[in-house]
Amino acid sequence: MSKSVEPEKLASSRRQILKWGLLAGVGGAGTLAAFSQLEKIKLRSSVTVLPSTHTGAISGQASTPLTMLRDFDYGTVTQEKGRTVREFRVEAQTSTIKLDNAHTFITWNLNGRVPGPTFRATEGDRIRVIFYNRAGHSHSLHFHGVHPAEMDGVKPIRNGKIMIYEFDAEPFGVQLYHCHVAPVTRHIGKGLYGMFIIDPKDLRPPADEMMLIMAGYDVNDDKKNELYAFNGLPHYYMHHPIAIQQNQLIRLYVLNMIEFDAAVTFHLHANMFKVNRAGRSPQPSEETDVITMGTAERHILEFSYRYPGKYMFHPHQDAIAEAGCMGLFDVVESTKT
Amino acid sequence: MFNLRVFSLLVSAVGLSTLMACGETQDSPSASVSPSASSTAMSSGMNHSATGKKQININGAILSELDKLEAKLAVPGLSNKIQASRPYGKTDELVSKKVITQAQFDQVKDMVTIEDIQLTGEAKDVDYMTKLGLMKGHMLVAKELLDLKKPDQAEPHIGHPVEEIYADVEGQLNERKVKEFKTSLIALQDLVKAGAKDTAKVDTEFKISVQSVEGAIANLPDTQRKDPKFVLQVINGLLDTANSEYGAAIADGKISQAIEYQDSRGFVAYANDLYKGITPAMQKDSPDAHKAITSAMADLTKAWPAPIPPAAPVKTTDAVSKLIKDIEMNTQKSINPS
Ligand SMILES: [Cu+2]
Repeated sequence: MSKSVEPEKLASSRRQILKWGLLAGVGGAGTLAAFSQLEKIKLRSSVTVLPSTHTGAISGQASTPLTMLRDFDYGTVTQEKGRTVREFRVEAQTSTIKLDNAHTFITWNLNGRVPGPTFRATEGDRIRVIFYNRAGHSHSLHFHGVHPAEMDGVKPIRNGKIMIYEFDAEPFGVQLYHCHVAPVTRHIGKGLYGMFIIDPKDLRPPADEMMLIMAGYDVNDDKKNELYAFNGLPHYYMHHPIAIQQNQLIRLYVLNMIEFDAAVTFHLHANMFKVNRAGRSPQPSEETDVITMGTAERHILEFSYRYPGKYMFHPHQDAIAEAGCMGLFDVVESTKT
Repeated sequence: MFNLRVFSLLVSAVGLSTLMACGETQDSPSASVSPSASSTAMSSGMNHSATGKKQININGAILSELDKLEAKLAVPGLSNKIQASRPYGKTDELVSKKVITQAQFDQVKDMVTIEDIQLTGEAKDVDYMTKLGLMKGHMLVAKELLDLKKPDQAEPHIGHPVEEIYADVEGQLNERKVKEFKTSLIALQDLVKAGAKDTAKVDTEFKISVQSVEGAIANLPDTQRKDPKFVLQVINGLLDTANSEYGAAIADGKISQAIEYQDSRGFVAYANDLYKGITPAMQKDSPDAHKAITSAMADLTKAWPAPIPPAAPVKTTDAVSKLIKDIEMNTQKSINPS
């Protein structure tokens, strides 16, 4: 699948800074001074993304939860009639993943990964999703957000058929998509879901950004979940902690995609986080360390860690956490540069 | 947010008016984006070419429609090549995906589209019959499971026609003036979900539902339903889906999802039924293809020895895929003898 990842948001903030910097002075020393000042700010505000400790492939899945964490798919970008069009190609497939030693699970997924790709666009972009169903059952892609009825993705697309979903990216915030064929619990539970981030035109401040989706696995078709996970694999981030930098602004895009359980919380250890509900505001509002999320609810959570060390994150439904929905941040001490 | 503060100070020094003036137009406030104007597909209009002729959707067209392009460009095997390179986001991907050359594309670009078009003629009938055939396959395996007193296992297969297919065929049913039967399918599903305790009632409701599906199929003229060229296309649609479902049933060399095993069993069973109906014609007109197809179908069917899956798969997913490909290839020979 073709995919072009756009330069970080950061780069475009930098472009803006440079532009404004050049406009600030009329030339000569003034401009240069403003310029270097801005460059320094840029450097000081730059985001340090620490390398993952583990990137090895997992059998049955090309992406790991660590590679998926910051893998934002900006699509293939073209300009049509003066507008930015982002094209995403996805194929519904079936494949197996090893959830733990006892469970090999048959997933229904997009492009061979669970969760599906994290689509990302800026408000007002035109989104075109070319959906090819090669997974046996009828499936569909239903996007949250604002769009006409024909693009609501409720109509089943049969095996072997293609549907092109096309709509405007609006409103800005954290959206999601999932298959809407009944029983939806089974179609989502087997892996047909993902996040769809619509950035506001006024960019959010630079941060180390990550995507976390909580999901459940009903491994024996008893309409209850036996296993849970962040980004597809139970307990993965416990064994492969997410390295982050001390005092760095972290921005989590969190979605609860757990079926069968009405709601779960998201809890972060030894810290408070700021909540931006559904990402619908330019700035977060309230502050807490436990937030309740119903199925399909999603928020932006922002925080930074003052002290180095390892800190857990998990729903505070502790049985659910212990069944796989649990992870660690590894806060690494900032160097004195 | 120290950096931001400094930043905003600098910005205010620049002056707000300068900022506004230099802002790119696309960065204007969201309120200026008119949702109603932009919600119509951008790709429409681009492909609405001046030709009055009906266009071919390269993402959805069946082989016999694609053959028009193959004939126009005189490229043998082009229809299959177009199908194999799906999906297309734009028609000119026929060139970028190296299916045809730019010069060839220029000759046919007015004939092709990626937009949804109203199906007509044979393509429409194949589509209609395939959907109903899938329903019929689900019902066949549901009945077997009900007879085995496994209502819990039968339930998903009674659900699938409504959940996965009905909405997709509803328009055509209305157009063809076929009486609505979603209500009876749902009524039957309710009974089975509740444990199918009243077997006589389940029997009656089941008959009503199956008769509805069969009645909808019988809406197509008898001659068409006996025409090998037509029926073989439906069989291919059923087998293709059976192939994907069988693959989705097996993990670690075990049949771990009975539902998908049973789905594929039902589709193959109905494909066998359909083939019986065209056997005399096949024997007469395409004896070689007939021989190859019947032997491959018989071998294929062994993968589903019973409605309840065997402990170990009788055939690997690769073996099933290969047999289904063989059958498709042989049907192509008799659909399109060239
Ligand atoms: Cu689905």
